[in-house]
Amino acid sequence: MQFNSTREQVAFLARRATWGLAPGELDVLESLGVTATIDRLVDPSSAGLGEEASAWADWNFVYDRSDRKARRQQDMEAFERWMGRLLSTERPLDHQLAWFWHDHFAVSMQVVRHLPAMLGHLDLCWSLGRGDVRALIRQVTTDAAMLVFLDGATSKGTAPNENFGRELLELYTVGVGNFTEADVKAAAAALTGWVVRRRDGWKVRFVPARHDDTPQTLLGVDGVHDADTTIAAATSSPACPVFLASKLGRYLLGDIDDATVLALAATFSNADLDISALARATLGAGVGGAATPTVLAPLPWLLQAIKATGAHVSTAELANTLRSMGQLPGSPPNVGGYPGAATWLASSATAARFSAAIDVARATPDEAPALAAARAGDWPGLADLFMRPAGFSNATMTALEDLKPSVSARPGEGALALALASPDLLIA
Amino acid sequence: MPISRRAFLGGAAGAAAAGGGAWAALLRDSLEAAAPTVRPSPTTTRAPVTTTTTAAADAVASSSARLPVTERVLVVLEMDGGNDALNTLVPAVGRYHDARPKIGLSDGQLVTLTGVEYGLHPALASLTPFWEAGTMSAIAGVAMPQQSRSHFTAKDAWWSGVGGSPSQTGWLGRWLDLSLDAERNGVDDPLRAIALGGGSPALVGAQTTATAIRDPAAFTLATGPGVDEGGLVEAFLATASALNAEPTLAAAQQAIPGTLDAVALLAAAADSDNLSAYENPTPGAGRTAVDLLSTAANIIAMGIGTRVLTVGVRGFDTHADQVENHQALLQDLASGLASFFTALEASGDLDRVMVITTSEFGRQIAENGSAGTDHGEGGLQFIFGPTVAGGIVHGGYDLGAVDDGGVPPVVDTRSVYRSALEWLGGPGGADGVFEEDPAVLGLLTA
Repeated sequence: MQFNSTREQVAFLARRATWGLAPGELDVLESLGVTATIDRLVDPSSAGLGEEASAWADWNFVYDRSDRKARRQQDMEAFERWMGRLLSTERPLDHQLAWFWHDHFAVSMQVVRHLPAMLGHLDLCWSLGRGDVRALIRQVTTDAAMLVFLDGATSKGTAPNENFGRELLELYTVGVGNFTEADVKAAAAALTGWVVRRRDGWKVRFVPARHDDTPQTLLGVDGVHDADTTIAAATSSPACPVFLASKLGRYLLGDIDDATVLALAATFSNADLDISALARATLGAGVGGAATPTVLAPLPWLLQAIKATGAHVSTAELANTLRSMGQLPGSPPNVGGYPGAATWLASSATAARFSAAIDVARATPDEAPALAAARAGDWPGLADLFMRPAGFSNATMTALEDLKPSVSARPGEGALALALASPDLLIA
Repeated sequence: MPISRRAFLGGAAGAAAAGGGAWAALLRDSLEAAAPTVRPSPTTTRAPVTTTTTAAADAVASSSARLPVTERVLVVLEMDGGNDALNTLVPAVGRYHDARPKIGLSDGQLVTLTGVEYGLHPALASLTPFWEAGTMSAIAGVAMPQQSRSHFTAKDAWWSGVGGSPSQTGWLGRWLDLSLDAERNGVDDPLRAIALGGGSPALVGAQTTATAIRDPAAFTLATGPGVDEGGLVEAFLATASALNAEPTLAAAQQAIPGTLDAVALLAAAADSDNLSAYENPTPGAGRTAVDLLSTAANIIAMGIGTRVLTVGVRGFDTHADQVENHQALLQDLASGLASFFTALEASGDLDRVMVITTSEFGRQIAENGSAGTDHGEGGLQFIFGPTVAGGIVHGGYDLGAVDDGGVPPVVDTRSVYRSALEWLGGPGGADGVFEEDPAVLGLLTA
C-alpha cells in the first residue's frame, strides 16, 4: 500500500494499531506526523500519556462457582470493562498487542470456564505483551488458564500429555516444519508436574512427584528438564523470531513478503526479542509501503464504527452484535485463534455486518459529525471520519449518491448505515 | 408437514440467548466462525441477484408441493479436533486393552457389529440398524499421504485432497467447479454448496462460491424500525456493482450478492411447506450435530438445488477426561444422524443422500496420564448411503506395528472421496479432482 499524504499514513496507522478514532483525532495525528505518531503508539509514556492499570484492577468480586446468577453478572461486567477500555484507552497499541497475544495463545473462556483465571491470563497478555517475549511465553506456560486450556494441569511424568508441548512449538514459538515429534515428546515431559488447585482459588503449584526431570534434548538443546529450560530452548531457536515477526507482521500489515518478514525478524533478534521494538519496526515498514489491504475482524470493525459515530451501544447490544458476527472476545473457536480474513467475508458474517451497520447508525446521536456528513451528502468527509481520507470506492460513492433519503425515517441514518456496511469500511 | 420459520431456524433457545445478553450465556453458544468460501474469481458468471433471487424465491414460496427432486446430495460430516478412532470403532483383537487401561472400552460395553471383529462405542448404538441394513460401512486406518499430527496441517490436507503441497482449492470445490457447466450452464449458484456450523475450506473452488452459515438462526438481514429494508438491501448490492481493481476490496464486494441470494432463498424456502419432519430432541442446544443435521435435513427436503453440504462439529480433540467427553460427542453424532435419516425417509429423500464422516487424524494408541489421548495418525471414516457396500470395515488398525504411537495409515482418504464423487456426479464424477486417480476401494455396490 502506497500513501499520498501524511494524513493517509497516520490514518493507516490508526486503522491497524488503534481501536478507532473519535472525530478530530485524525487531525491531531496528522499534525504530529508519522514519526511522532508511531512514538506515541509504541511508547506512550515518553509522549506524556499517563500509565494505565489493568482494566479489572479496581474491581473486587467474590467468585462463587455455585452462584450462577452472580457469575453471569460478573462475566458481563468483565466484558464491559474490557470493551470500555478498548474504546477509551490512550494507549491503543498496548491493547492491540494484548489482543494479538490473546489471539496467539487462543485461551478460551469456553474451555477455562473460570473468570478470575481468564482475566489473569488476559492481564498477562496485556502487561507482558510489549516487553521481552520470553518472559511472556514463560509466564503463560504455567498460567492457570493455560494449564487448564491445554491440559498441562493433568500432565504427569508417567504419561505426559502432549497438548501444550505440541502447540508451544507449532503455534507459540517456532511453527510447523521447525520441530519433530521427538521435540513434542521432550517438551511434554519437561513440562510435567504443574497443577491447578481448583479448590484453592485456582492456585498454580509445582508438584515434583508428578514431574519427569529427565534431561531432554529439545530443538537441539541438551539438558532441558523444566519450564524455564523448555521456554529458553524454544525461544532460542532461530525459527522463533522469524515465526513471531511473521505473525505480528501479518496481524498489523496484512500479507507481507518474505524479505520484510526477515528484516523484521532481524530487528526483533537484535532487540533481544523485545516486542515493542518489533512493533515499532513493523509499523514503520507499513507506512513505508510494505502493508497490503486486510479484512477487519468484527471486533475492530465494530469498535472503529462506534468510535467514529459516537453511537450509544449498550454492553448487551455490543455482545450480541459481536456474537452474531462471529467473534465474541475471550472465545477463540480453537487453538488456532480467531479465524482469518476469508471468514469475515463469508455469508454469515456479511449478513450480520449489514444488520450491525443499521444498528450502529440507529444508535448514533443526532449531533454526531458522522450523521451530519451523511445527512449533507458529504461523502469525502464521512470517509475521513472513518479514517479513510482517500475516500470511498466508486461503487460505494454511486450507491450513496443513489440512495433515496426516504430510506430512513431520520435523515442521514440510511446513508450512514450504508457507509458502515459498505465493503470499503471492512477493508483496512 | 408445515413447520414454522422459527423451527427451521434452530428453535427458540437461540433467540433467547441472542436477546439475553449475558456473556456467560453467549460464551456457551458456539462461536466457530464460518470458513473461507468466498474468493475473488473474476471468471465467474453468475445470474444477477435481483432476477434469480426474486424469481426463485417466489417459486419456492408459492409451491406448496415441490417438484420431484432427483439430484443427489453429498453430506460431509467433519469431526473437528481429531476423533479417537480406536474408541469409536473398537478392535476386538490386538493390544488395544493393554494400551488403554483407563479409557479402554471393555468387550461387554461394545455394541456388536455383525460380520466384523470390531465393536462400536456404546454411544453409537443407534447407528447399528444402518450397519445391519447394509447402508453403513467404516474405513479404518485412513489418512492423507504424509499425514500430519498438527490440526492445521492435517485439516488443510484433508480439505484440499492434495498430498504434499498446499492447495488453493478444496476437493469439493474442484468438483463444484468441474461440474458447473454440465449442471448449471456455468452459472454459479450460492446454494449449490452450503457449509453449516463453521464453513469448510473443502468447498473452496476457483469458479464457484459456497454459502457458509455459522448459525442458521442468525442468518437473516435484520433492519429494525425506521428503515426501508428493501431500499437498503438494494443499495448494499449496489456497493458491489463494479468490482474494484484492488483484490481484497473486490473480494468483500463479491461476498455481497451471494449472501443476499442465500438469505432470500432460505427465508422463502423456510416459509414454504417443504420442510422435513426432523424431530430435534434438544432444540437450540447449541451448534451440535443434532442441531446442524436438523437444518441439513430441511435444506435437502426444500429441494433448492443443494448438491453438497458440510456439517462441522467441534470438540473431538480429547486430550483429557476423554471418557465423558467422547461419550457425549458420539451420542450427539449418533442421535443427529439417526434423526437425520429418519427425516429423509419421511420426506422421500433418503435414496438421494450419502453421508461421509471425516476427521483430521486419529489419536495415539496409548492413553496419556490425563485419561485422554494425544494426536496420532491413521483415523476412521464412516460412510452411509443407499448404494454403500454395507457392513464392511475397509482397511484396519495395525496395532502390532506401532509407529511412534499412532495407528499406521493403510487407506488413502482420497479413495473415499473418489467413491463419494463418483456416486454424486455419476461415472467419471471424480475425474480431474485429484492429481492422480486414487485407488478404488469397493465402497459402493453400484
